[in-house]
Amino acid sequence: MSPKPTAPLQVLIADDDPVSARLLTRSIESWELEAVAVRNGEEAWKALQNPRFRLALLDWEMPEADGLEVCRRVRAAAGKRYTFIILLTSRDKSEDIIAGLEAGADDYMVKPVKIQELKARLQSGRRIIDLEDRLLRSQKRLFELATKDGLTKLWNRRTILQFLEDELSHGERAGTATSLIMIDVDNFKTINDTCGHQAGDKVLATLSSRLQKQVRPYDRIGRYGGDEILIVLPNCGLSHAAGIAERLRRDAIRKPARFGGQTLGFTLSIGVSSTEDRARPTADKIIQAGDLALYEAKRLGRDRVVRFEPEPARRKGSPPCPRP
Amino acid sequence: MTDPPPLPIDRPEALERIGGDEAFLNELLGLYDEEYASKSADLAAAIEAGDTDRIRSLGHGLKGSSANLSLSRLREAAWAMEKAGQEKDLEAARTVLRRLEEEYRALKAYLG
Repeated sequence: MSPKPTAPLQVLIADDDPVSARLLTRSIESWELEAVAVRNGEEAWKALQNPRFRLALLDWEMPEADGLEVCRRVRAAAGKRYTFIILLTSRDKSEDIIAGLEAGADDYMVKPVKIQELKARLQSGRRIIDLEDRLLRSQKRLFELATKDGLTKLWNRRTILQFLEDELSHGERAGTATSLIMIDVDNFKTINDTCGHQAGDKVLATLSSRLQKQVRPYDRIGRYGGDEILIVLPNCGLSHAAGIAERLRRDAIRKPARFGGQTLGFTLSIGVSSTEDRARPTADKIIQAGDLALYEAKRLGRDRVVRFEPEPARRKGSPPCPRP
Repeated sequence: MTDPPPLPIDRPEALERIGGDEAFLNELLGLYDEEYASKSADLAAAIEAGDTDRIRSLGHGLKGSSANLSLSRLREAAWAMEKAGQEKDLEAARTVLRRLEEEYRALKAYLG
């Protein structure tokens, strides 16, 4: 992992003694860190709501919530990022040190603070902060690798299916419909065969990014298979979903994808299904219904949206969709 | 044999603590003056009101500022004030306040 240029760490100083606060502020600034000083515990607690403070020097004895109390609140709140806390105090008895550490302080310094010692302790705090940042970054990266599709940046198959399961049970509890949109690129194999697989990839990536921009913020969109994309729409009935699907289809194919010098026009077949009028819908059944509607869209000549009807309107010359 | 009484300020020690910057030490001493003026007035009021908790807390604060600047005699007196507050001894607090004022005058005289 390459080292990232980091913004200066911000240190919060909470000390009601102006001499001490000034001394600490100036020293910290001379080490090219940023320092902000407050005069009491309540102000410190308020300031620490801002995650930019990763390091805090808290005087134990302060008006309006002492340093110990601030420590406890910070640890109880357990924010997203860790705050390294050094407690400053004139108390140096063993039981005081233990009380300070038990309240959640990471380190403890007896006043008057020796500045060179403070510097070393802030550096060790910084190591912890850096370590935590690296850990969070790799956690985020691992989460992406485990849940996202590399090419399309959509949710991967496993994750989108999990969303579907979750939404189905949530919708069942809430008494709301969940719908599914299943999208397939028409003649995708032909694009791959005639223009190459990279061109096919580009079509998928372009399509995905267009769809992602158009879906509602609470809809989930994932790559289901090779060129199949699945959208889970919570709290959405069949006709509403079909309307959304039609809008998505028109927006997505308005312009061709571009790869190298080539323009790659494409069309989409889309199947829509819903939990509406189903007693106990399972993910399998909803997907199967979406699949059948998609198949029907292909059969009717592609480039269209077809909704799954439990009793499909019979069209002249077209056999009904079998019920899943 | 007793040690001679310490100077009002141990300048070398204070300078070492802050990295040897004379101008900065003078700035901090200026802050101390303001702090002392406000805290000693508050102390007189707290003694008048018999607010021993406040006396303790003011004594504690002054002890900290004095310690930062190696004002060992003022620190001692401030510590005695903190203790008087803790022990709810108003009589002692009155005596210690006089002692504080003397030590502060001694500091000002020493610094010239």
